Amino acid sequence: MGVILERLPGVAKGLPGGELLLTTADTVIDWGRKSSVWPLTFGLACCAIEMMASYASRFDFDRMGVIPRPTPRQADVMIVAGTVVKKMADPIIQIYHQMPEPRFVISMGSCANCGGPYWDSYSVVKGVDKIIPVDVYIAGCPPRPEALQYAVIKLQEKIMKMKLAATRGAAPQQASGSRELDPAKALG
Amino acid sequence: MNAEELLSRLGAQFAGIEKTSVAVKDYPTVRLSDPSALGAVFSWLKKQGFEYLDMITAVDYKGPVSPKGYVMDPNPNAFLPEGATPQVEAPTATPGFPYREAIELVYCASHLKGKLKLFLKVELPRQNPSAPSLAGLFKTADWQEREVFDLLGVRFEGHPNLTKILTPDFIQGHPLRKDYEHVPDRFDR
Repeated sequence: MGVILERLPGVAKGLPGGELLLTTADTVIDWGRKSSVWPLTFGLACCAIEMMASYASRFDFDRMGVIPRPTPRQADVMIVAGTVVKKMADPIIQIYHQMPEPRFVISMGSCANCGGPYWDSYSVVKGVDKIIPVDVYIAGCPPRPEALQYAVIKLQEKIMKMKLAATRGAAPQQASGSRELDPAKALG
Repeated sequence: MNAEELLSRLGAQFAGIEKTSVAVKDYPTVRLSDPSALGAVFSWLKKQGFEYLDMITAVDYKGPVSPKGYVMDPNPNAFLPEGATPQVEAPTATPGFPYREAIELVYCASHLKGKLKLFLKVELPRQNPSAPSLAGLFKTADWQEREVFDLLGVRFEGHPNLTKILTPDFIQGHPLRKDYEHVPDRFDR
């Protein structure tokens, strides 16, 4: 936000209208957030192959401002791409809490949505939303890169609806307590 | 050394070894009757040039179990509407299959110079199965035996560190056993 307030006057000078730019703080900040949705480089299973294909040149995720980051501390969104096994559940919660707010989660594919074909397994968590709040679900096994990009577009639409005053900068489900993992309780 | 020569020498050296009726692919496959002879057989095989232990795995030969456990035969009535008369008695055993109360260990060793592969099978009782560990002979056996212990509950005597390797600590029981019943944990909400 500090970067936006520092640099926006300089950007506005280059605009045809002159130095004055009237908008709401919500719009500017949400526009900045949605234009740089940086996901965590984090693949769990075969959906990660489709995720890598989305990042590559044929589908070109860069044009939406999606650049994979190697550390959760620089990431805005976690794409849970693949089967969440119970052994991996605790690390996922830990990584989720290492991400700065506002943070978003995209649940990619059947396994991350509900367990998928492993629903009856002894070792698979039946949906990543049992352990962390999820913003966008993508159906498919695995979803195509276009589906993942559509999910990011949907997430951008969601980010544009965020209000600073109402949520104090946090995502809606985190507004009433960021450590609350139960989305029903978090939303009150 | 070719396959026939190996089999005849194995049979001459050890009493309880015989060729199985069905081979694993086309490799020489033998069955060992006494599990306690495993160490002797494999140390002899290693001296003959079988320097590489490809894998250790195990099979549970228990037949269909209670519907609560993991029944491997498909239940054709599972998707009928409620109250409909079942069309097939379920679960059914595959006719002719030798179900028995046994866990079979399968070892595979390679003679790298002779381009030879040997499969060796040993049957253990399902109650408290135990076999001597090969971890002192082959380093591969360390983790492979831990996996067999984790998934099927075979105890390997003399193993340096026989602990779970795949499943998390809170999973109780041995999941690949046919009568495994899952105890709900904190992620099964």
